[in-house]
Amino acid sequence: MLRDSQNRALSSRRTFLVAGGASTVACADRRPRLNVFNWSAYIDPAMIERFETERGVRIRYGTYESNEEMLARVMSGNSGWDVVFPTHSRLGPMATHGLLARLDHGRLPGLAGLDSRFQQPVWDSELHWAVPYMWNGTGVAYNSKLVAGVEAWSALWRDDLRGRMTMLDDPEDVLGVCLLKLGMPFSSVDERQLQAAKAEAIRQKQYLRAYLNADVRDQLVSGDVLAAELWSTTTAQAIAGNAALRFAWPTEGFPLYCDCAAILRESTRYELAHEFLEFLLQPDVAAANARVAVTATANRAGQSADPVLYPPGEVYARGFWPPALPPAAQRYRDRLWTEIKSA
Amino acid sequence: MRTRGLASWTVLVLFFLYAPLAVLVAFSFNTSRFTVWEGFSFAWYRAALSDPALAEGLWNSLIIALAASAIATIIGTLAAYGIWRRPAPWLAGTIYLSLLTPEIVTGVSLLALFQWSFRFLHLHLGLFTVVAAHVAFSIAYVMIVVSARLREYDRSQEEAAMDLGATEWSAFRRVTLPYLAPAIGAAALLALVVSFDDYVITSLVAGVDSETLPMVVYAMARRGVSPVLNAVSAFIVVVFGALIVVSQRLQER
Amino acid sequence: MKLRFWSLLPARLTGALLLGIPLAVIIAYSLLTRGDYGGVEQPWTLDNWARLADPLYLAIVWRSVWIAGVATLLCAAAGFPVALFIVRSGRWRNVWLQLVLLPFWTSFLIRTYAWIFILRDTGLVNTALTSLGLIHKPLPLLYNDGAVLAGLVYNYLPFFVLPLYATLEKLDTALPEAAADLGATPWRTLRRVTIPLSLPGIIAGSVLVFVPCLGAYLTPDLLGGGKTVMIGNLVQNQFTSARDWPFGSAVSMAVLMLSALSLAAFLRHRTARELL
Repeated sequence: MLRDSQNRALSSRRTFLVAGGASTVACADRRPRLNVFNWSAYIDPAMIERFETERGVRIRYGTYESNEEMLARVMSGNSGWDVVFPTHSRLGPMATHGLLARLDHGRLPGLAGLDSRFQQPVWDSELHWAVPYMWNGTGVAYNSKLVAGVEAWSALWRDDLRGRMTMLDDPEDVLGVCLLKLGMPFSSVDERQLQAAKAEAIRQKQYLRAYLNADVRDQLVSGDVLAAELWSTTTAQAIAGNAALRFAWPTEGFPLYCDCAAILRESTRYELAHEFLEFLLQPDVAAANARVAVTATANRAGQSADPVLYPPGEVYARGFWPPALPPAAQRYRDRLWTEIKSA
Repeated sequence: MRTRGLASWTVLVLFFLYAPLAVLVAFSFNTSRFTVWEGFSFAWYRAALSDPALAEGLWNSLIIALAASAIATIIGTLAAYGIWRRPAPWLAGTIYLSLLTPEIVTGVSLLALFQWSFRFLHLHLGLFTVVAAHVAFSIAYVMIVVSARLREYDRSQEEAAMDLGATEWSAFRRVTLPYLAPAIGAAALLALVVSFDDYVITSLVAGVDSETLPMVVYAMARRGVSPVLNAVSAFIVVVFGALIVVSQRLQER
Repeated sequence: MKLRFWSLLPARLTGALLLGIPLAVIIAYSLLTRGDYGGVEQPWTLDNWARLADPLYLAIVWRSVWIAGVATLLCAAAGFPVALFIVRSGRWRNVWLQLVLLPFWTSFLIRTYAWIFILRDTGLVNTALTSLGLIHKPLPLLYNDGAVLAGLVYNYLPFFVLPLYATLEKLDTALPEAAADLGATPWRTLRRVTIPLSLPGIIAGSVLVFVPCLGAYLTPDLLGGGKTVMIGNLVQNQFTSARDWPFGSAVSMAVLMLSALSLAAFLRHRTARELL
């Protein structure tokens, strides 16, 4: 059926094959390797090279865009990855599921360099499972030239911004924000509260342009979008492109997320993986990574004075670290999310 | 008069098909990050060339596409031939069904198979799982193209060769295969392109060492509009366009 | 006949291993219970299939069928005159055909991405209209059903033109000419002669467009801005954020059955069967 149209490049195909075969051989590499799976744009590439030259090893570095994407791969326990960077609330379930290796603190003296807030975090008080790496919060990013008076989540229901606002494409965050706006807890498992939040989300949908994650950054910079529920990190990156952008840490409270470096139990490179984690804890490495990724480091070293990345004490106090949702609540929320999306 | 109407409509449709790509390519030469024309520059091409993730993605994509299209072309051609000799409804049904299976379903089912079986086999997802998945969905394309050519093939040609003493196999190799060569080339190219282009299935079955160019492109697109992406797109559009045009020329000669 | 056996063997093996067994695994998954953090667990159950009858999911299925149907109609409306023109364009046939097919050879992702670039507020269309003074504030072109349809038609139009062209090419040109000689208007000739005779091509093209549109997930995701759920998005969501593999498997099987039904309807036409 497609015959008339498709054509042949047999000779060039053969050339390709020969060239391909030759360079595959050239690529063979005897150095020990470590497979690292991290969020995209979340490290200074120069630091990977430095680790490789200093230790004489090779890092295979892969990236993902969401926890779910990472989890889908590592869930089977034979993904081939050694080090992954789950968000704090995923650590508990992953550990319960037997996916994570216990950390050996003897190999991680750099832990002492962590910011005091991350020495004994609520999600992993003895740092059994993961080393806090970078953190950020969800708030409202807005264009201060065209929008004023954004302090609370309720700004994302404003009629005058109709069609110029976005929410994150994430069920936990959207339902959580609706709950906060209604004065209820972000991680509520109460079905009546969740139903109210769903109604609020459906009401909000008519004002929204779209549900977007990191893609919204450029639309904020260019002025397509005037206000967005967004992560502080992404907002800080957008501000670098458009100085009129601001970030509000909402008055109703806001979730904070910490992405942590963890070693998978399936890993056969337990020692090298620890070396890599210890390397990430070095003050200069942590500073370089935070600077290049434009995000907040969990280390004492390398913190900047940017209030978008590091909210001052009284603002920080309004934040909270959402815990993992119990499976039943998760299931209930998934259904509500489908209802919101297809409303 | 009516032909002129049809012609203008066709030109309009062609505009619809090409304008988006043309715009994408044009803005890959823009100095600015944004959709405002500020000046001509190669900066984004330099940025794309110096991005190691892109280079690795391109390399992986090439290896995968070449391996998968070679395997799929062999299997698909043989299958098309066998079916032409005598129909095999179950096989044809299964393979054509794969053409109609939504990509997400194909990807998910292969992932389920790999994860389930690798628990016993102690294997990891990787380059070879991607190649296997691509072979699975490319065979149907190869079969369609080769079958189309076989439909116009006269059975008596093979029979004549065998009457003259050729074995079944040498009749196939000496008579049928040369006749099919252009179709096999076309099929291989089609398989190469669909394999090189695939994102949905690849992203599900990829493991360590198998990040492909479309996966890198998708990650970039998700992080927002970037002129580097335009540069990569322009590169793909031009390279593939040229490949197709050249192969067309070769065939016409 | 021995050669036939050996030539079919590799396809039989790959077909069983990479198409048959995965399908069996998906069917098995759809009959199991979800694990709390993904994966599947005992016991066996029919619940996942029962959930498909939930009006919420039926609405999503209906919506997908509707969008895929509209996309198919648009492809037919845009593609039929093009195929007709190409067939009539004499020795330029191949050039025109290649021109229509060439964009199909470039990356699917990039073609979709190009539409974001064009439709957004500060994209090409809005910038052009604003600078011409036709509009004062940008039109909301991106992130709606219109954008999704544009993306689907854009991506699958060649799938419609190609089989239609193949049919029209084989069509006996004497028939439309005879109709014209007998005094039929061009429109009447088209309606009464050309379209009925090219029906197999139209059907083949429709199936080739309808089925991938039905299961599309990237186009609605990227161009619909996550505000619409098509059945492909539902499947994707079940396997990722909802971590409900059994239900995701049941939905997958439902999509597959819908696709197979379209294929079966298509294969009932003998002339259409010959095209494949």
